[in-house]
Amino acid sequence: MANGTYDAIIIGGGHNGLVCAAYMARAGRKVLVLERRKVLGGAAVTEEVHPGFKFTELSYVCSLMRPEIIRELDLPAHGFQVIPQDASFTPLPDGEYLYYRGDRQEAIDAVSKFSKTDAENLAPFSQLMTRMAKFVAPMLMMTPPDLHSMAPSNLMRLRELGNHFMTLDEAEVHTFFELMTMSSSDYLDRWFESEPLKAGLSSSGIIGTLLGPRSPGTAYVLIHHYMGEIDGSYRSWGFVRGGTGAVSYSIARAAEHFGAEIRASSEVRQVLVHDGRAIGVELASGEKLYARVIVSNADPKRTFLKLVEPSELPADFLQAIKNYNIIGSSGKVNLALEELPTFKALPKTGTHLTGVITIGPDTDYIERAYDDAKYGDFSRRPYIDMCLPTTLDPTMAPAGKHVMSMFVQYAPYNLRKGTWPERREDFGDTVIDTIEEYIPDIREIIAYRQVITPWDIENEFGLTGGNIFHGELTPDQLFFLRPAAGWAQYRTPVKALYICGSGAHPGGGIMGAPGANAAREILKDMRLRKV
Amino acid sequence: MPDRYDVAIVGGGHNGLVAATYLARAGRRVVVLESRAVLGGVAATEEIAPGFRAPVAATVCGLLRPEVVRDLNLPGYGYELLPFDPLVTSVGEDGRALRLWRDPAATKAEIAKFSAADADAFGAFSRFLLDIARVLDPLLVRTPPRILDMGRGEQLFYLRLAMRMRKLGKAEMAQGIRFPQMSLRAALGERFESELLKATLSVDALLGHWAGPWSPGTAFGLLRGFFPMVHGGSWGFVKGGMASLTDALVAAAKASGVALRTDAPVARILIADGRASGVQLASGEQVPATIVASNADPKRTFLGLVEPAELDLEFRQRIEHMRMTGGLAKVNLALRSLPPLRSNGGPAPRIRYGPTLEYLERAYDDAKYGRASKDPYVDATVPSLVDPGLAPSGQHVMSVGVQFAPHTLRAGSWDTEREKLGDRVVDILDGLMPGLEKAIVARQILTPADLEAKFGLTGGHPYHGEMSLDRQFLLRPVPGWGRYRTPIVGLYLCGSGAHPGGGITGGPGYNAAREILKDLPRLAAA
Repeated sequence: MANGTYDAIIIGGGHNGLVCAAYMARAGRKVLVLERRKVLGGAAVTEEVHPGFKFTELSYVCSLMRPEIIRELDLPAHGFQVIPQDASFTPLPDGEYLYYRGDRQEAIDAVSKFSKTDAENLAPFSQLMTRMAKFVAPMLMMTPPDLHSMAPSNLMRLRELGNHFMTLDEAEVHTFFELMTMSSSDYLDRWFESEPLKAGLSSSGIIGTLLGPRSPGTAYVLIHHYMGEIDGSYRSWGFVRGGTGAVSYSIARAAEHFGAEIRASSEVRQVLVHDGRAIGVELASGEKLYARVIVSNADPKRTFLKLVEPSELPADFLQAIKNYNIIGSSGKVNLALEELPTFKALPKTGTHLTGVITIGPDTDYIERAYDDAKYGDFSRRPYIDMCLPTTLDPTMAPAGKHVMSMFVQYAPYNLRKGTWPERREDFGDTVIDTIEEYIPDIREIIAYRQVITPWDIENEFGLTGGNIFHGELTPDQLFFLRPAAGWAQYRTPVKALYICGSGAHPGGGIMGAPGANAAREILKDMRLRKV
Repeated sequence: MPDRYDVAIVGGGHNGLVAATYLARAGRRVVVLESRAVLGGVAATEEIAPGFRAPVAATVCGLLRPEVVRDLNLPGYGYELLPFDPLVTSVGEDGRALRLWRDPAATKAEIAKFSAADADAFGAFSRFLLDIARVLDPLLVRTPPRILDMGRGEQLFYLRLAMRMRKLGKAEMAQGIRFPQMSLRAALGERFESELLKATLSVDALLGHWAGPWSPGTAFGLLRGFFPMVHGGSWGFVKGGMASLTDALVAAAKASGVALRTDAPVARILIADGRASGVQLASGEQVPATIVASNADPKRTFLGLVEPAELDLEFRQRIEHMRMTGGLAKVNLALRSLPPLRSNGGPAPRIRYGPTLEYLERAYDDAKYGRASKDPYVDATVPSLVDPGLAPSGQHVMSVGVQFAPHTLRAGSWDTEREKLGDRVVDILDGLMPGLEKAIVARQILTPADLEAKFGLTGGHPYHGEMSLDRQFLLRPVPGWGRYRTPIVGLYLCGSGAHPGGGITGGPGYNAAREILKDLPRLAAA
């Protein structure tokens, strides 16, 4: 098998590449996955960075994983296990806090301490968001139509899309357009008045973007975060036992179960193209491997500007990829802790520590954090999405000790002063300074600190620009525009070269959908002998 | 005066006058009720010092619908647009000025002084936007559809529109869909390298809007600069001042038999059994009418003139949440002389200072937190350069738009801050044209709060609400009510709060009149 020809070589063992491999292998194809790093998973990765402590280094929660994929690949049989968590804790600088679990009575009671009308509006808001999420969810597994092509298969896709829109009533169509165009802050202002609640909700609109809660277009991402399905209930984020790396490994095991071959520590240097057709890859080691199709799980810039010779790509496509917005905006600070942290606002240990902890007390705070990033600096007082996975999965650390995962915005890829390696510790210190306002003794309980900047995300994990979603999730590069107009169907201008990662529809997050959709299209092309 | 008008129009702004005239030409009995002593709304001229007639709010004109100009024979009533050149003189941080001319070749040569690549790209950029504007233009005079309930004719229209988009070619069509949703920074950054050029174009797209160049969706505003050219027109000053446009509209209205009443503020819209039956003035006088059309903005209309009990809570809340916070202030100056620009070059009928995208964005940052911009940007027009009659011989009027001066300050009040704003603006202009400060004969400052008090614009917002993508077409003023009709039978919107929105276009009035004429027979009979 080592030097034989494969049906497909997949460049990159991120979760989408693994999903693509699993589906193709399940269809009887001979598949090889090549991962540069020694661990699989890309940004869905768990590593023992400090002895005994497993850090879910980049991504940290999972809920967008498509239930179809979980089921069809039988991931639970391969170790995929989500621990539902629904606690939401927002400590405030004045010692107050907002804490609730789930969307029901507890949430209503907690929110009514801040505003009675907000409490009353929680359920209808949730219902509307869930309705919109239910509408958008099937679109995640659709191949986007090409707006220009008159090909029958494409016209069918357009019709499918049109029919799907017809399932909405007029009010819902309007809501959808508003969500696509409004800022999360403006949209939430219609429903809620209390800042801790609004800030907490709008923060889900800006995660992974270089935009603020007042930026138009961020309301759309609110839906994203209602699309989570675990055991059929929406809006339930969960920890994965073993961290998000365990998601990747469960998919890898499923792929191997179907016969796929996976090689780590195998960096691909280039896609080999002959007569306009991708025929194989060349590894950094010099080894050449051949396949009927080549599939890239790398982001669009890495794929088309690094792995493929520019002369193989049409000029306007190259320009579109150069214009593709993939500037990262986030960093990660992971801590190994000697004990559970004590929050000034709610000092006891309890379920409030088991879910999402938001450092982002009001909309202005998050908007100011964004302002810093616009002008090329990391936020002086960043927004932090914090969690303690060990409170639900003690296997991630030695007994009694804990891991703290902090997703930090904003940390813009392009800094005006200095470089990220120079300022990494500065950034880490800023994050600790920030949380010290909420956890006064944090510095005393830190056993180890890992600071991951956009530069590290790019250089260590392979994500261009340090952008966690393989490109901004704004309407101008979503759906039929992702990664470029006319090239949103997983195919590329190079025959037999495909893309299967988050740089394709439906974009980033641990969804597996790009990988599954790509597999479907590749298998179709193979069946129809188009490739 | 008849015992019952067919249509009573609340507010004599330009859209109200347009709607009134079309209705009267169709044989309807129409009355326009204006609260001020003069008609025209923001298309106004004031003598800020003896002999100096300055535009008060709106200054340039170019978007007036050709249908309206032609049908109402406005040139016959004295309306004339005087083109000006250069279109804008934009000064950079280093004092060098970029001039954009009506002549594309001259513009190209100017841009080349800053960037040869940009000079080449500008032509393609202009052609692209003009192509898109041309395709979209028919939508401006069309009533937005009921999206899930389109008749055959309507479907055909949109199919043809889609085909015209498609005919632009794959690349241009894709860009046409992508472009409007982008931020100015991203969209212009893809095409141009000169900061000054990007900032100059951005100010056009941002004036009157509560946004900065980093905000997604702001690239959409660039289109408006190109609509005048779709019909072979261009930007210009109204000869005799903005009020001359109003005078022409008034003359056309009178000639068609419209009854015009000034100093007649409407206090409420009369509603009986869920149906509009006329209006009541502040004096108590009742004016019965089969149909009431409001030229006031949606907030004033629904929250100020209609009893709360007549509207359902959800509709009221949607109107309450319309973004209508003005950030544009006006500083109008009477000048005994017009000093030359430090940057040299000839006379500049339109001078701009907003030298970089970051400068514009930081001005917006201040506004977000309820502060006047520490470093505002200014857009100054000098109509007297092209229309000398506006000021005594050799002297001038200058009307300056400045952003941001948010309607409501978080700290302090405009009563104490107003003069500081004026000083700041004068300071900036004096830096561009040394000696300007000394040449000032009179100065008028209108913050958004002043614009609200003077013209009845809620929030002092010049466009009756934000013109962002989520408030366009069938989503304007609120989703479900984008067809000039309102939840109150017989009550219509005919101003900028309806499609196609703000600017001196006459579009809303034109479209509203058409819809009212459709409904009148049925409503008159009932």
